[in-house]
Amino acid sequence: MSDLPQLILSGVALGMIYALLAFGYNITFLTSRTLNFAQGEFLMLGALVAFSISVVHKHNYLLGIGGALLIGIVLAVILERTAIRPALRTKSDVSWILATTALGIIARNVAERVWGTDDYRFPSPLGNAPLSLAGGAVRVLPQELLIIGAAAVIMISFELFRRGTILGKAVTAVATDKDAAALQGINVALIITLSFVISSVIAAVAGVLVGPLTLVGAGMGILLGVKAFAAAIIGGLESGLGVVAGGLILGLCEQFTARFISTGYKDTPGFVLLILVLLLKPAGLFGKRSIKKV
Amino acid sequence: MPILFPQKLFVRSRALLALAAVVGLGLSGCENKSTTPGDSSKPSGGSASTQDPVKVGVMGPYSGGSSPMGLSMRDGVRLAAEEINNAGGVLGGRKIELVERDDQATNERGAQVIQDLLNSQKVCAVLGPINTGVAQASYRYPQEAKVPYILNVTTGAWVNEHFKEYPDNYVFGLRANDNQQSELIAKEAIDKRGYKKVAILADETNYGQNGRALLEDALKKRSITPVYIGKFKIKDTDMTPQLQEARNNGAEAVLTYGIGPELAQIANGMEKLGWKVPIVGSWTLSMSNFIDAAGGNGNGAVMPQTFIQDKPPTPTGQQFVQNYVKKYNPANGRIPSPVSAAQGYDSMKILAEAINEAGSDDPKKLKTALENLQKPVEGAIAIYTKPFSADNHEAIKTEEINIGKVQDGHVVMETPAASSGGGANKPTGS
Repeated sequence: MSDLPQLILSGVALGMIYALLAFGYNITFLTSRTLNFAQGEFLMLGALVAFSISVVHKHNYLLGIGGALLIGIVLAVILERTAIRPALRTKSDVSWILATTALGIIARNVAERVWGTDDYRFPSPLGNAPLSLAGGAVRVLPQELLIIGAAAVIMISFELFRRGTILGKAVTAVATDKDAAALQGINVALIITLSFVISSVIAAVAGVLVGPLTLVGAGMGILLGVKAFAAAIIGGLESGLGVVAGGLILGLCEQFTARFISTGYKDTPGFVLLILVLLLKPAGLFGKRSIKKV
Repeated sequence: MPILFPQKLFVRSRALLALAAVVGLGLSGCENKSTTPGDSSKPSGGSASTQDPVKVGVMGPYSGGSSPMGLSMRDGVRLAAEEINNAGGVLGGRKIELVERDDQATNERGAQVIQDLLNSQKVCAVLGPINTGVAQASYRYPQEAKVPYILNVTTGAWVNEHFKEYPDNYVFGLRANDNQQSELIAKEAIDKRGYKKVAILADETNYGQNGRALLEDALKKRSITPVYIGKFKIKDTDMTPQLQEARNNGAEAVLTYGIGPELAQIANGMEKLGWKVPIVGSWTLSMSNFIDAAGGNGNGAVMPQTFIQDKPPTPTGQQFVQNYVKKYNPANGRIPSPVSAAQGYDSMKILAEAINEAGSDDPKKLKTALENLQKPVEGAIAIYTKPFSADNHEAIKTEEINIGKVQDGHVVMETPAASSGGGANKPTGS
């Protein structure tokens, strides 16, 4: 059973990756009731832009993160203007699904043109030598610790921002009632744009963080985007804490199933859980039941 | 402060524009246009004039995790076709025209692509594909259309196995098939290195699972049962559970059946767990995306290889490497998948010889010519003397296969083939 700590750690690292992306779903859902289905592709573009800057052109890793931040902001604005705003204006429940998915496909095609279709190695800025913890019982890559740490910092600071600043309170207000918020003089459009910028930036930065573990390439976002969406549903789309828990549950579930049941059934329990949650508690494990008035 | 809403119409049209763009992008990039504009309305009866090119289909994955193999194979075929055309073409002056199609490594797409090649493009033969599943999903069409299908990379797909259902078999193989590969892997790990406890890690594709089953058989012949059999998915990034299990069961070596990126995750995962045992696996351990992504962790991995770039077995092979590097200028002078490139090159050379000997590009005559090739063909891998016969469609003999080893970003020779070059005609392995 000495394997257990190692297994938990790799499950947590994997779960934090899902949680980071799922957190992005949570932010936009709160303010605009829409999701960005191109989230996985934004992660991929963040990773590839940082790869070009830090690895191909051999600049600093931080500059790579900067590049990812920039591309995140640009993508968010494009997305918000072309997909979300029209959908909100026409009060359409489906057009944003199509439009964000479409933008994701465009992003992937562009990436395939620019970077090709191969997977590349993105060396970790912290080196690839694993650290031994707890007297050698656990070996962990520095990058995994960085992911766990950075994900926690990003999510905590967003919660602090939401609770402690005027702008953050405006986000909460928009999340609660758009029309009332507008009547109070809150610029709802700005808040929605802001939430897309934050979620896209998180996705792009997540790409830079996970790249060294997963290899980077135009196809890297597809699976992560789907897994993160499942994590968000399990935890509850409306709860910041919930999506983190959802990510961790999914990550640990995968690792434990692979180890103790069968590697072939690795993804099954997570998705069984997803179906159970949808059946029994549709708002998610941590979500508040909401009654939609028509 | 209420938000200002500009006119709706403008916005709608913008959303539509985005969708239209998606559809457009989805369609472009799927098809590589053939090099010369040929007419597709021509019957394949061989009654074409001397000016018409001879159309040859080339299918493989030119995108995704298998693309190093697909692109190398395609470039190898292109190189051979170019040499043949520069030397005057086939059938007294007709040029070879390659019709290239991307099967995207998916079975459905492969079945579509081959029907396009056979029915619309009327090719005289098809070279390719890379993926076992694609070949298995597509062989029915050339068998029924009676057009030779030369499998020049896929190692798992059936060739001689077809004789039972199709006595008039149109599928040929120019590859080290998985019967041969699994036998060689077991030979290297058990007979030569003397491991008693081995774990098998294979991906969940047709290729991985077919190879895993054959590997188990090869081990059984040596009275060895693997201590652990693990599975993983394409794009899996964490192999901790599989490796822990293998380690806990005392594996002395890990035998692999997968493709580059995931194999790299196995090598990297071993380094992370601080558990280093040799990796012995199928030929895909020579893929550039394994070697690059695993870095130093990939050193020492050994695999069967029909062709090693540093040690071409024939003068034609040496020339081939020079020309390939000069023409395509691959990164670090390294062919992404030398095995695929060499097999692609050789398959085109053999096909051209068969076209000349048949005196026609009629697919049925081509098959007969392939089975009775009169002149030896100088390929990159071997000098092929009568590579195929009426009851054996496998060109590569087990004793022509080397064992290669990954060393500092290259594949080097570990154990040379029992017989270097062609000539030996003793069927073994399958």
